[in-house]
Amino acid sequence: MTAAPLFTLCVTSGKFGPRVGSLNLDREDGTPVIRTPTPALLTATSRGVVPHFSRDSVQITGAIQHIQLPFESFLDRNPPVLTLVGGARPLHQFLGYETDKHVLTLTLRDPSDGRKMPPNGNDFMSAHCTRGVRKVNLPTWKTYVQKCKPDLVVALSDTPFTPPPHSQKRMTKSIERSISWLADFLRVLDDPSASCPRNVLVHLAGGAEPHARGEFADRLTEPIEQKDAVGLSPFNTLDDGVAGYVFDLLPLHTTLAAEACRPIEPSSPVDELLKVSDSQRSSPDSSIRLAELLQASLDPLPVHKPRFVNSPVSPHEILRLVREVGIDLVDGFWAQRAADIGVALDFRFPVPAESSITSADCPAPRTRKDGKMDLGHNLFDSMYRHDHSRLASSFSDGHSAGQSHSNDLPVCPCGACSPRSPASRLLHSSVDIQSWQDSQRPLPPSALQPPFVRSYVHHLLHTHEMCSHTLLAMHNLTVLSAFLEGIRKVLGREFPKDELEKEIVRFEQKYDEDMVLWDEAATMWLDVEHARGKGRLARERGKQTASTMGTAA
Amino acid sequence: MQFEVLAKCHTTRARVSRMRLAHGVTMLPTFMPVATQAAIKGLTPQQVEALGINLILNNTYHLNLRPGIQVLKEAGGAHKFQGWNHNLLTDSGGFQLVSLSKFTKITEEGALFASPFDGSPTMLTPEESISIQHAIGADIIMQLDDVVSSLTVGPRVEEAMWRTVRWLDRCIEFHQKSGEDDVQNLFAIVQGGLEADLRDKCLDEMIARKDRVAGYAIGGLSGGEEKDVFWRVIKQCADKLPEDRPRYSMGIGFAEDLLVCVALGVDMADCVFPTRTARFGVALTFKGPLNLRLSKHSADMRPIEEGCPCPTCSSGITRALLNHTATLETAAAHAITQHNLVFQARVMGGARDAIMNGTFPQYLKDFFANYFGDAGYPEWCVNALRSVGVDLLEGKPDTRVVSGDGAKWEYSDAA
Repeated sequence: MTAAPLFTLCVTSGKFGPRVGSLNLDREDGTPVIRTPTPALLTATSRGVVPHFSRDSVQITGAIQHIQLPFESFLDRNPPVLTLVGGARPLHQFLGYETDKHVLTLTLRDPSDGRKMPPNGNDFMSAHCTRGVRKVNLPTWKTYVQKCKPDLVVALSDTPFTPPPHSQKRMTKSIERSISWLADFLRVLDDPSASCPRNVLVHLAGGAEPHARGEFADRLTEPIEQKDAVGLSPFNTLDDGVAGYVFDLLPLHTTLAAEACRPIEPSSPVDELLKVSDSQRSSPDSSIRLAELLQASLDPLPVHKPRFVNSPVSPHEILRLVREVGIDLVDGFWAQRAADIGVALDFRFPVPAESSITSADCPAPRTRKDGKMDLGHNLFDSMYRHDHSRLASSFSDGHSAGQSHSNDLPVCPCGACSPRSPASRLLHSSVDIQSWQDSQRPLPPSALQPPFVRSYVHHLLHTHEMCSHTLLAMHNLTVLSAFLEGIRKVLGREFPKDELEKEIVRFEQKYDEDMVLWDEAATMWLDVEHARGKGRLARERGKQTASTMGTAA
Repeated sequence: MQFEVLAKCHTTRARVSRMRLAHGVTMLPTFMPVATQAAIKGLTPQQVEALGINLILNNTYHLNLRPGIQVLKEAGGAHKFQGWNHNLLTDSGGFQLVSLSKFTKITEEGALFASPFDGSPTMLTPEESISIQHAIGADIIMQLDDVVSSLTVGPRVEEAMWRTVRWLDRCIEFHQKSGEDDVQNLFAIVQGGLEADLRDKCLDEMIARKDRVAGYAIGGLSGGEEKDVFWRVIKQCADKLPEDRPRYSMGIGFAEDLLVCVALGVDMADCVFPTRTARFGVALTFKGPLNLRLSKHSADMRPIEEGCPCPTCSSGITRALLNHTATLETAAAHAITQHNLVFQARVMGGARDAIMNGTFPQYLKDFFANYFGDAGYPEWCVNALRSVGVDLLEGKPDTRVVSGDGAKWEYSDAA
């Protein structure tokens, strides 16, 4: 039996344009094929784990299915511990993901890390770990991948992480290296018993130059030259060995911002706790530029391969890339980062009817001067101190939806809005049953509980409690997943392209894209972090040194 | 409160009891995890419940500052605010006034302290403390006590003891007038420092008020006093306190301390230790604590403890993964916290079973052999347990006994 194709398209509009498909992971080991309707969410991880989630939190968050695993944090030990696990699914086993639900995509570098990096070499790539920068050469990466057996893997490519602009010479080198690294990655090993990595994704290189991007894509589709063909059969072109395409938007945003004379300095964010991506914003213009760049790459390439987009900075940008390019998997870094800085997302696509979300008991996000609504709530804001409503006005919570049928809001099934009592409780002695089977106070398992409310999360944020971020991350991933589901639904309508266009216009008119809310939240988050977080003592010492400088101590 | 002793150890003073409060039944002896700011650090209330825990502690001082009583009242009390459906205990706030505020001055009226917000003088009276605890709505509330460090000597200790007795009367009066006394249960706190005669006087006074208090705490300990003095105070108090009231030892959390206290007749204890140490990467096991940050764990594919039913061990999280994430990812703190709370619960659950089955002395011997076997038994534990008829060294002539605190730590790779 042949394997199910990794990707099938159901709704398509030619080379570029909105599309709906299905990503089908067939491990060819007798286990059921895992099918995901696209556009779909790709959950970001840090050090192998979804930030702020214990394993039980991952399990109850249905939005988490596709997971992106940067390998680089594991370089701080040699050999990296991931390569020592063994077994059929080492990554699932070691990191605790479920083989029948979670699809793991391995990358070397974290696509959301935009820090300045030392240059890559002709045969190695620089990567970050807690002990500093490590060089990873091609055979090493290949060995790591073989030992980790990921479901999908991204080949190494040479993206400069030095401040833009990049010279033409640098771009040429980037393309040459990325092509040769891909060829090397696809080449079968000398050891024929070692299995070749399946489902290889390639990052489409070329930076912010359409010509360069086109050049890279052309190289993928050119017939492989005789001298390079050893070990590459049966491929006629490198693209034959590629299962899908990856776009890392972060370096593109950095370059576009530099061109627009609002450089985002990669080497020195204002604060050590901030990331380069925190200041990246989208606009209709930037989305059009991005779409042109993505199109330049995809133009010579076949349409039936899935397109992965990392680090989009807003739902507006995702919508435009869906419309202009057609993208299939989108990472959730943006929504997860919002959870770090105290933002609870509160938006929907398509935009709900006004009447359904204006409710006295659950205030909608703030409307800015230009009439546009925030994409969520900055729960650090003191206005939430007495706000005892669920996180999102545009979704209901499981508990109240179960009690009344008066509102037609969709339910947010996340662990913050629709928490459930545990399915079981551990018993630590034979008499413990008296606590849990109490005729005077029945405690049904897995029963819906009232939602966590804004005032509580506000309190947790200000008291630096970790579970504030857990609750927000569960919620934000779920809202983003529902947003992508909304896109799929609109594309399921009779005239998908027109319907999508209409709904995107409504979305753009409704929700604020400047994301002032994010700036406000980040400022308040930094205040609390500096007052209570890690490194507080060191910073206080630093401040004291600074303030006593020049005085006789 | 309904309090019923189900079984007593035939040798020691340990007992198993059932305590019914407004939010359900808690089986004693038990350890109470601390949710200082209305959250067990890193866990949702559903996760805590799944661990088999049904009594936790909130701190009055912290909740009074943030979110504040007004917010708690609007939310319908602390249970609803934090989504916790089970039993809850609040302290009086007195301990934090002394430990967190440099400017606290104790007067007969109450504790005068500088507001942490604007520095203005603020008074916490016994009545005010109970009133705040009423707004929080915990199932067990504590009297305001005049706390002195356990290292204090001289007349201040006696003064604080008598004032604590007087403040208990004010707390009782205020509590009974409020009409909350049928749902919230007031505990008295025995003070008197490390001096036996003062403790005795305090016990007499407080036992005389037995009909108007639901239970007793033993306060003024765990402040750096010698362990050999600590257990003697616990024993003195537990011996004298009435049979039909729960006994709560404040600020106790090391496994060996818990078991000694249980053997001396203590029913409840609380401590931030298991949750705090988890955040620093230390996991508790029946073979002693593991510092998961040490590189010797970096490729160890075993769980923290084989056979542990906690979500961390039962889902196959390895020491190696925790070594990779500890102190760098909050997820590691969550995972180790889940494990450590289950460890505490297993230590106490094992004690409940052993007491029910009449095997508690053997349970103590097995626990100490496992936990301290290679490092040596703390002398104070040996002494304390001998005082209730259990000789840990019986039939073990080669066991090393170490003086001092005897806490067992994995400090560095060299160890």
